[in-house]
Amino acid sequence: MLENMADGAISNGFTQNQIAGYNPPPLKKKRNLPGTPGKLLSLSLSLSLSLSLSLSFSLSLPFYDDPEAEVIALSPKTLMATNRFLCEICGKGFQRDQNLQLHRRGHNLPWKLKQRTSKEVRKRVYVCPEKSCVHNHPSRALGDLTGIKKHFCRKHGEKKWKCEKCAKRYAVQSDCKAHSKTCGTREYKCDCGTIFSRRDSFITHRAFCDALAEETARVNAVSNINDAAAAGNNINYHIMGASLVPSMPPHFASIFKPVQGNHRIIDSTRPEHTLWMNQEVYTDPIISCSNPPPSDYQLSWVLGNKDASSNAEELASVTGVGSQLVSVPSLFSTQTVNVSHQTPSANMSATALLQKAAQIGATSSDPSFLGSFGVKCSSNQVQDGNKYCGLYGTSSISTGLGSDVESSVNDLSTLNQLQMYPSKRRHIQNEDCTTTGGQTRDFLGVG
Amino acid sequence: MERTLFTPKEARYPNNQSNGHYQLEMQSTNQPQSSHTSTSRSSDSGEPCGDGKWASKLLRECARAISEKDSTKIHHLLWMLNELASPYGDCDQKLASYFLQALFCKATESGQRCFKTLTSVAEKSHSFDSARKLILKFQEVSPWTTFGHVASNGAILESLEGESKLHIIDISDTLCTQWPTLLEALATRNDETPHLKLTVVVTASIVRSVMKEISQRMEKFARLMGVPFEFNVVSGLKSLGELTKEALGVQEDEAIAVNCIGALRKIEVEERGDVVRMLSSLQPRVVTVVEEEADFSSSKTDFVKCFEECLRFYTLYFEMLEESFIPTSNERLMLERECSRSMVRVLACEDEKGHDGDCERRERGSQWSERLKEVFSPVGFSDDCVDDVKALLKRYRTGWSHVLTQGDDSSGIYLTWKDEAVVWASAWKP
Repeated sequence: MLENMADGAISNGFTQNQIAGYNPPPLKKKRNLPGTPGKLLSLSLSLSLSLSLSLSFSLSLPFYDDPEAEVIALSPKTLMATNRFLCEICGKGFQRDQNLQLHRRGHNLPWKLKQRTSKEVRKRVYVCPEKSCVHNHPSRALGDLTGIKKHFCRKHGEKKWKCEKCAKRYAVQSDCKAHSKTCGTREYKCDCGTIFSRRDSFITHRAFCDALAEETARVNAVSNINDAAAAGNNINYHIMGASLVPSMPPHFASIFKPVQGNHRIIDSTRPEHTLWMNQEVYTDPIISCSNPPPSDYQLSWVLGNKDASSNAEELASVTGVGSQLVSVPSLFSTQTVNVSHQTPSANMSATALLQKAAQIGATSSDPSFLGSFGVKCSSNQVQDGNKYCGLYGTSSISTGLGSDVESSVNDLSTLNQLQMYPSKRRHIQNEDCTTTGGQTRDFLGVG
Repeated sequence: MERTLFTPKEARYPNNQSNGHYQLEMQSTNQPQSSHTSTSRSSDSGEPCGDGKWASKLLRECARAISEKDSTKIHHLLWMLNELASPYGDCDQKLASYFLQALFCKATESGQRCFKTLTSVAEKSHSFDSARKLILKFQEVSPWTTFGHVASNGAILESLEGESKLHIIDISDTLCTQWPTLLEALATRNDETPHLKLTVVVTASIVRSVMKEISQRMEKFARLMGVPFEFNVVSGLKSLGELTKEALGVQEDEAIAVNCIGALRKIEVEERGDVVRMLSSLQPRVVTVVEEEADFSSSKTDFVKCFEECLRFYTLYFEMLEESFIPTSNERLMLERECSRSMVRVLACEDEKGHDGDCERRERGSQWSERLKEVFSPVGFSDDCVDDVKALLKRYRTGWSHVLTQGDDSSGIYLTWKDEAVVWASAWKP
């Protein structure tokens, strides 16, 4: 059972949305998809998963298909009702059962303690009442009532809350509050080195910045087919830089949204859906150019991370990245220097780059480095709904990427590149990774 | 519509305060022969000007002398102004310097030639880099232009909500600095990004030369944002009245928005009605108009009145520039020089035919409203849009505020600086 669940969980972490060809109820979970890590890995993962299952990490765990989960569909009215628990004596409403019980004591009624009965409490998952919503289907149900409430508000509700400073609008009050804390404090750094405190001037500058034009010119030259190795290098190096972003599953995807320069290559050929396209192209060179590190190395990396399930897949496929990622603590500390050295990187040969990475990788991984990744999955949810509505909002578009990164990585110019990208794409990504891990594409952007 | 807020405040230019400081002011301006000028000053005016605002007084007198054709006085005042003026000094000195040039041209009827010279000098030193630097810097330190951008973008986005093929006709010289934020909003606010076609109609010859570079940047940026984008430039028009749907490449299934930023004032006064009708013929969903709040339309009929208005407006503008930029800013110098060209154009050039869209006769918001109301009806700015404007103004130094027009059909929103209305933004629908 454990094995089953683990397998299912892992698969869910990476696979696409099982809606296509999916057969409810979520009982048959044996799916071995390409890219699913081997037995050894899955066992270890299952161990860590079972541990985390006992904690109620409803937000951080991707939705695991518990065959015995009770799927609850609440109506919009019920969902939005703030006082669901009513006192039978006076009719007063309370948000939580505990509060109601406390109130009932005032009526001299014996209060009913909600004990954990001997019967195993059935896990409850909730579906979104909005019919057109992806989460309306039981397979995409969310495990937490608060989560589904927030989702419903964010996606289908009206944005009633507004930031004082930048007029950005939110449907969920906690989102707005969280934003207000960081509003105006974040700085945007352009490739050219200029720093902006205002988002609107950053955007306008970006559109006309020479760095934009230069990147295209340089990258176009580099993307010559004969020079594939160099291109791979470039990407690799960029990946290193980009992956230094302390990331959660969604942000591993952001690795494949390379820094600006790489965008241009695709841009010239495919004008639409550039962000997704980038993922497709760049995964191949990465895999082909990198040396796979020892698998146990990878494991230790994986186990150290709460979001083991999603990460495992990512690291399994992005082998070279994984090793470089973990094994270069020095790079992490000097991130700004790193990213700005994109030009020199193109001159390093592929072998030289890998040798260098291997040398650094020879030293043990830095646990503090892993720890500093500070996987704050809950905050990811908070900023999930960051649709950028105001034209001149000062908050970051990117969701979890925003404040998490800010706390540990400052002024990473790639960060700012990524910030620029439309939030709805990130939004989709976030949703994927925190729920079932993807829509129509797997993590690698293939298929 | 009574708008007592916006009548010129005479108090700003004290003419009649007797003040002993004046003599000291003269000596501190590093002008030679200041003692000479001060004696002639005291004999001439009788009362020294208060708090150092000598320029306005002198300039006014000169304007009056010119309209009265009092050549002795004209010469005398021009000479004095020449002594005291400097384009590198304080606000008064600058105003004196640039207005002196305009008044001189008026007096000697050499405005046309002067304007041509100034324009060609400006064009020579003009490049994409310099233009970009200038406009971006200005937008960074002052909401003078960004106010109009934010208001217009808000109105455009709201009017074109839900459309999948957008066509924005941009008649402005903003070098497309308005559009990156709109592109970003388009990319992020909807689940489905609409296709945007941007047609820029360029009037000033200075701007034309850099449009190629601008178009490249905009296309790249749109790709970055993931917005399907098409960019066209229309230039070389003798007058805006010549625009047609065909010339602009307007297609039937497109939702049109016309964006006029500082564009209507470039049209000769007599042709403005025609142009407004032309705009209506494009069948747009929304027309956004942003203009500076000043009335320079009476130059032919009443020179002094027009001059006073010019003086008021540009004094405000120069003071705003002084407070917004650092003292040694090159950008500020460029902007001031741009003003000087406008001054010459408005005050010293007769409206001859063949002018290439460089008429600078501004009109007030209320005047534009009168014209636009003939074919359009005003669209109020939504609360969200006004909130965006508020948030924008908060990001700049103090002194900036906004005022919504009162009345049944609110036709616009004003940007105010130190309680003086300076820029007017409005939205219209057919």
